[in-house]
Amino acid sequence: MSRPLLYLSYQQDMALLNTPAKRGWTLALAVGAVSLPFVLTDDLLVVLATACVAAIGAIGLNIVTGYGGQVSLGHAFFLVIGAYTAAAISGDPDSTRLIGFGITSLPIWLLAAGLVAGLAGLIIAPLAARLRGLYLAVVTLGLVFIGEHLFKHWRELTGGVGVGRPAAVPELFGFQFAVDGAMFTKAQKLYLLMLVLLVIFGVLARNLVRSRTGRALAAVRDRDLAAEVIGVDVTRYKMIAFAVSSFYAGVAGALLYVMIGFVEPGSFNLGMSVQYIAMILIGGVGTISGSVLGALFITLLPRITRELPAVLPFISTSSGSGGITVFQVETILYGLLIIGFLIFEPRGLFGIWIRFRTYWKSWPFSH
Amino acid sequence: MRVRERAVATPAAIALREKDLGIWQQVGWAAYWEQAELTGHALLALGIEPGDRVAIHSENRREWLYADVGTVAVRAATVGLYPTNPVAEVGYLLRHCGAKVLIAEDQEQVDKALAIDDLPDLTHIVYVEPRGIRNAYDDPRLLAWPDFLALGKQHRAEHPDAVTQRMDAAAAEDVVTLVYTSGTTGPPKGAMLTAANVDFAIQELVERGGFTAPPPSSRDSVLSYLPLCHVAERIFSCWFGAGAGVCVHFAESIETVAANLHEVQPTVLFGVPRIWEKIAAGVQIRIESADPVKRRIGGFWLRRAEWIGAVLTANGGRHTPASRAVYAVGWLFCYRALKDRVGLRKVRYAACGAAPVAPEVLRFFMGLGLPMHEVYGMTENTAVATANRPGRVKVGTVGEAHAGVEVRIDEITGEIQTRHAGTFAGYWRDPAATAAVLGPDGWLRTGDVGEWVDGTHLRITDRMKDIIITAGGKNISPSEIENALKASPYIKEVLVVGDRRRFIAALIGIEPDTVGHWAQQRRLPYSTYADLSAKAEVITLVQGIVDEVNTRLATVEQVRSFRLLPKLLDHEDGELTATQKLKRNAVMRSFDELIESMYAGGAR
Repeated sequence: MSRPLLYLSYQQDMALLNTPAKRGWTLALAVGAVSLPFVLTDDLLVVLATACVAAIGAIGLNIVTGYGGQVSLGHAFFLVIGAYTAAAISGDPDSTRLIGFGITSLPIWLLAAGLVAGLAGLIIAPLAARLRGLYLAVVTLGLVFIGEHLFKHWRELTGGVGVGRPAAVPELFGFQFAVDGAMFTKAQKLYLLMLVLLVIFGVLARNLVRSRTGRALAAVRDRDLAAEVIGVDVTRYKMIAFAVSSFYAGVAGALLYVMIGFVEPGSFNLGMSVQYIAMILIGGVGTISGSVLGALFITLLPRITRELPAVLPFISTSSGSGGITVFQVETILYGLLIIGFLIFEPRGLFGIWIRFRTYWKSWPFSH
Repeated sequence: MRVRERAVATPAAIALREKDLGIWQQVGWAAYWEQAELTGHALLALGIEPGDRVAIHSENRREWLYADVGTVAVRAATVGLYPTNPVAEVGYLLRHCGAKVLIAEDQEQVDKALAIDDLPDLTHIVYVEPRGIRNAYDDPRLLAWPDFLALGKQHRAEHPDAVTQRMDAAAAEDVVTLVYTSGTTGPPKGAMLTAANVDFAIQELVERGGFTAPPPSSRDSVLSYLPLCHVAERIFSCWFGAGAGVCVHFAESIETVAANLHEVQPTVLFGVPRIWEKIAAGVQIRIESADPVKRRIGGFWLRRAEWIGAVLTANGGRHTPASRAVYAVGWLFCYRALKDRVGLRKVRYAACGAAPVAPEVLRFFMGLGLPMHEVYGMTENTAVATANRPGRVKVGTVGEAHAGVEVRIDEITGEIQTRHAGTFAGYWRDPAATAAVLGPDGWLRTGDVGEWVDGTHLRITDRMKDIIITAGGKNISPSEIENALKASPYIKEVLVVGDRRRFIAALIGIEPDTVGHWAQQRRLPYSTYADLSAKAEVITLVQGIVDEVNTRLATVEQVRSFRLLPKLLDHEDGELTATQKLKRNAVMRSFDELIESMYAGGAR
């Protein structure tokens, strides 16, 4: 029976892929994504793999900010916790300079990174229960600076500013991802690994936000007082939101530097938090697919701006030669994009997609 | 009954679906029979004897069919009451049929029954929806549906074979249902349909494929939304299900039909002209109000659809290579999506009947690729008379006679008469009226005037009583003029008058949705229906439609003057029948002054 709207059960109504068209396109998308490593060059694959990881982090931020409505500028803080937890667990135990436990199995350090970051989130959460809006943003902003200071000076863990330490070693049941193999290159393997992880965490998040928890979060976002009145335990759900969001950030942080192989404490600054905010604003607040789109967009943006000097000669590649540099262009673009999206398309890239889809869905009528 | 056989043969197949809290609840054949049998036992427990009447006053829902099947199983007769019936009519019907048990849907219907004092026969009122009744009403006759079924359970435990015994004793001449005609003139009359009548109808329409080809099967589904007390809906919902295992979906209400159609996507769809006109008008309005690109593309393909419809009409419903090619491209660009949105995409057989329809409407749907067939039948012959058969469609006719049906046209009056095994047993407690329509030789006088087209297809001119004779002595059929006018999306009701007058005039009721939309686009402010009707611009709009129709009519038939009705006609006010047919006399009486005003000033 191909009557997709004839719902015979609530399961059918709630299903993610409820129409044949959706199933077909999802399959096509999956096949396309898996076949990419055999088409693209390795350096592009590394960027895409980074985008996948950034997408996991953006999903995390979207859970707390997009669904829960709690503005958080402290995402970099949770990312750095995840990154160093993972690095320390998988680090060399014989090193005299750095802390290391020598457990290189990916699931273990990944989970540990997520859990430690999630714990940190839980500790922060009571602040969110008391503060709202701008005040919460300022408090989370403080977190970033505390984190930056702490990790810059904890040399046994981080290796110190400008020096850093090796990132976590991706190994699954003895299979090494971060070295070139006979069949696949390092980039191809890493890309596929990150893609699979993104799919896993994406589906988990999608399931979370369409559950009772997700609806409770949305209620808190829309009006916490009203949510409390209808029986939503606001404090509890704010804590859940922060814990889950931080878990995702920790996971993303652990994976983020695997590609480069090196972690440096100075990179986790306010700029990184803003980057993630940009991802969810441009991608689409309160949507999982939007987070992925936004992460892809923001990660690929430097690639595109780097091509600009070839087209526009007044943009220089280095800072010494005067005029405007690509890095400045990049920063300006971030700003312009955020302003543009907030004014013209508050629902982000995902909103554009929704509008496009509705246009064809309502064919040949307008509504 | 066939329901029981089907319950034994395919117990798990889905018989009924009804939307409950957003989910379509399914009922298999076994459960259907179980419920119906329980209802039968419960009726026995309430002392129903063979030949007694059980009235059902409800919207279409599962309990309607349980009650119907259960009633027939214990050899009683079902009487359906329209949910929109006002109190006075409910009183008349209950008193006239002498029902012992009334099954009422909710507080509204129970209130109607309780408001009537002298119902000597009525011993029990079973209500299905307890809201507002339980713990609030203390009439001793009231009984809740679950308690009613509990009675049935108890009775079944004591006499497990009681229903089966009754069923085995059933005879072909048992009256299974009283269908009250909607009565465009005078009080409603209850047509008695016997088990043999229904059996004939099922055989003719379902098993021999009197409507569809191939015959309906368990893979088909229908949407039940017209009142079940009407004979046409009874055929499509109740008897198609019992006879062929068609899955019946109940619409939530008449307002949600559009949404339910979109969800259910039925394969067989029957509609009265009013429904089809409304869908057609809706499509046109929505295309017009779409954004420019969609409007152009949609408009372009609607014009192609008109052409395809014209080609199909000329070819008896079959495609020519050219029209098929145009349709294929149009299907890709517009028709597929459009039919899906409206909920007609899976329809393999669409039928229109129960009232005269404008050929333009049929052509519109044929152009969209809908196999549209006009059918003809009436309560008194169990709705079995003629139908357009797939592949041999003649638009403007009601088709050919079914295989086992004799049809003749009276040479003097032009009246259509039918004879077959489905002819009813007579009007309930009204032998005079029975004798007037049913001759001793078995020919049923339908009261419709018609003629043969090409010797095979029947064309209906009008109801005999409605024919207008002008002061000039010309015989004019008002329904043709009315339907030509009603083909416009802006016009909802038309009443053509002119009997013994100098010229033809019309009372016109505008369609509030479309005209309201039209006024909005022109930034015409209006408050109420009456205000909208009185606008000079609206009158000019209608004048344009009337002028356009007049060019296609003979001089004597042309509408020389018209007035817009200041209110929507309504069943509650006695201006429409429950099936939304115009009660000519009632309307003429209420708008007497308007009619006189048209003739007072002389012709323009």
